[in-house]
Amino acid sequence: MKLLNTLIRSVLNYLEELGQLSRFAGKFFREVVRRPFEGRELLRQCYNMGNKSLLLVGVTGFIIGLVFTLQSRPKMLELGAAAWLPSMVSISIVREIGPIITALICAGRIGSGIGAELGSMRVTEQIDAMEVSGTNPFKYLVVTRILATTLMIPILVVMSDAIALFGSFLVESIKGDVSFRLYFDEVFASLDFIDIIPATLKTFFFGFAIGLVGSFRGYYCKHGTAGVGVAANTAVVETSMLLFVLDFLAVMVTDIFY
Amino acid sequence: MDKSIATNIKLGAFVLAGTALLITAIYFIGQKQSMFGNSSMVYAVFRDINGLKPGNNVRYSGINVGSVKDITMVADTVVVIRFGLRKDILPHIKSDAHAIIINDGLVGNMIVNILPGKSTGRPLQGGDTIRSFARIRTDEMLSTLSVTNENAALLTAELLKITRDISGGKGVISSMISDSTIARDLKETIHHLRHTAEASNKALVNINRLVVSLDKNNNLLGMVRDTMLPKTIKQTLSNIENSSGEISVVIRQLNDLIANADTTVTNIRKGRGAINYLSNDRNFVDKVDRTVTDLDSAVLQINNAAIRLNQSLEALRYHWLLKGSFKKMEKEKAGKKE
Repeated sequence: MKLLNTLIRSVLNYLEELGQLSRFAGKFFREVVRRPFEGRELLRQCYNMGNKSLLLVGVTGFIIGLVFTLQSRPKMLELGAAAWLPSMVSISIVREIGPIITALICAGRIGSGIGAELGSMRVTEQIDAMEVSGTNPFKYLVVTRILATTLMIPILVVMSDAIALFGSFLVESIKGDVSFRLYFDEVFASLDFIDIIPATLKTFFFGFAIGLVGSFRGYYCKHGTAGVGVAANTAVVETSMLLFVLDFLAVMVTDIFY
Repeated sequence: MDKSIATNIKLGAFVLAGTALLITAIYFIGQKQSMFGNSSMVYAVFRDINGLKPGNNVRYSGINVGSVKDITMVADTVVVIRFGLRKDILPHIKSDAHAIIINDGLVGNMIVNILPGKSTGRPLQGGDTIRSFARIRTDEMLSTLSVTNENAALLTAELLKITRDISGGKGVISSMISDSTIARDLKETIHHLRHTAEASNKALVNINRLVVSLDKNNNLLGMVRDTMLPKTIKQTLSNIENSSGEISVVIRQLNDLIANADTTVTNIRKGRGAINYLSNDRNFVDKVDRTVTDLDSAVLQINNAAIRLNQSLEALRYHWLLKGSFKKMEKEKAGKKE
């Protein structure tokens, strides 16, 4: 009975949080179209989230391309299908590995950062101070961050894909003596709009989810400085789970339409 | 430079790079599907398209020259495919080309493969419909294979029966295999054949030698084969012909001469002419004889007189009165000679 009560309470808490998150998202959509627009803050957030994540995302993408090709190559050689390696790697990276890995890395770096930053602002009552001074903290802090992640994640994913494919080409060039032109001819011959458009579209949702969950956790941070760490941690965990759910939904939708 | 401006520039470069990469990828993918190039639409009609989809490649002579744009079903067994072909390739495809739907490799996508015709038709133009081949389906192939298998089974059964008969001693082949007499006869036949072949070989060598000797010019056949001989014979015949003509003229002249001689002899016999006089008149002959004798003595006397005259003239050369004149004459002669 006690276990059931605990379970019911957990479900209710989860539903309450989901409701709060939905309201938070609704508030974002309301505020995003209302004046004044915080353009300067948006650009600053875009720079922080886009440019400053590029190195991490680039290195990760490059290593993914290298490792993925190195791991796949022996089996493909065994099957006598080494010529299909560029096709296989490109489709895997562009459709799935590039977007999801980049989004997970950004969830770790950006999501936790937003959660911690907004959480610390909440516990140090900076947000309350902004409300008192007449500044809309939601518009200034939340809307700009969610917009920045929504816009920057797709660009980071595209760059990560390109760098990963370049890493894959390096392995093929060294091990298989494949020219740059041949490799990328094979890559683009195997790719289709069905691969690139849904994969790019879903990264907007990934970016939105990272910004939304991180901002939500930080904006409603409780229990002092300890709560800041919890907010950052929760933001990363929930964002990662949400990313997989969104990815699954995106694949389902793509499968229906194509 | 203001920090925010530098930040914005970096952000702009970042966004621009990402967007450029995305656009490049879209462009290359689109180019592979002939979306941006100049392409002309061509049609092909099939009964069964074997899972062909819009976007599948169109291949001609191993080159991807376009992609499938639309697939339309116009009747229960008529499917029209519209595909774009690169305009630079279009003049090389003739109107008698055929389209066939095949797999790209064993497990690849379906593609439309255009097979060249006899190159007698006009170049293909946009809006044309090219003829199509129905692809041989796997079930059809299996059906054919099934018939082949049945035939193979029948053949094997027949072969088995024949082999059993041979093993059981039935038929000529069996006798040939089992009877030792036939084998011995066969061996002897081969032996005789070998001898015959050797004799034939020798005969052929002799014939060859004969033929080689006939080929030389020192025998009749060699002369016959000489290409200069007909020319020489022709020349000789021509000469003989000319000679016979001249002989004929000579004979004719001889005839005339004989006729004249005959007339002369007749005249002589009849006592006409000088010859008759010379041959028949004895007095005349005596007169002539005497005249000749007189002439002979006269000539002798003249000779003697001439000798004496020479002596007299020689004596005159040394006479003091004429000596100068003779010397002068000698000098003039010597000057003329020089």
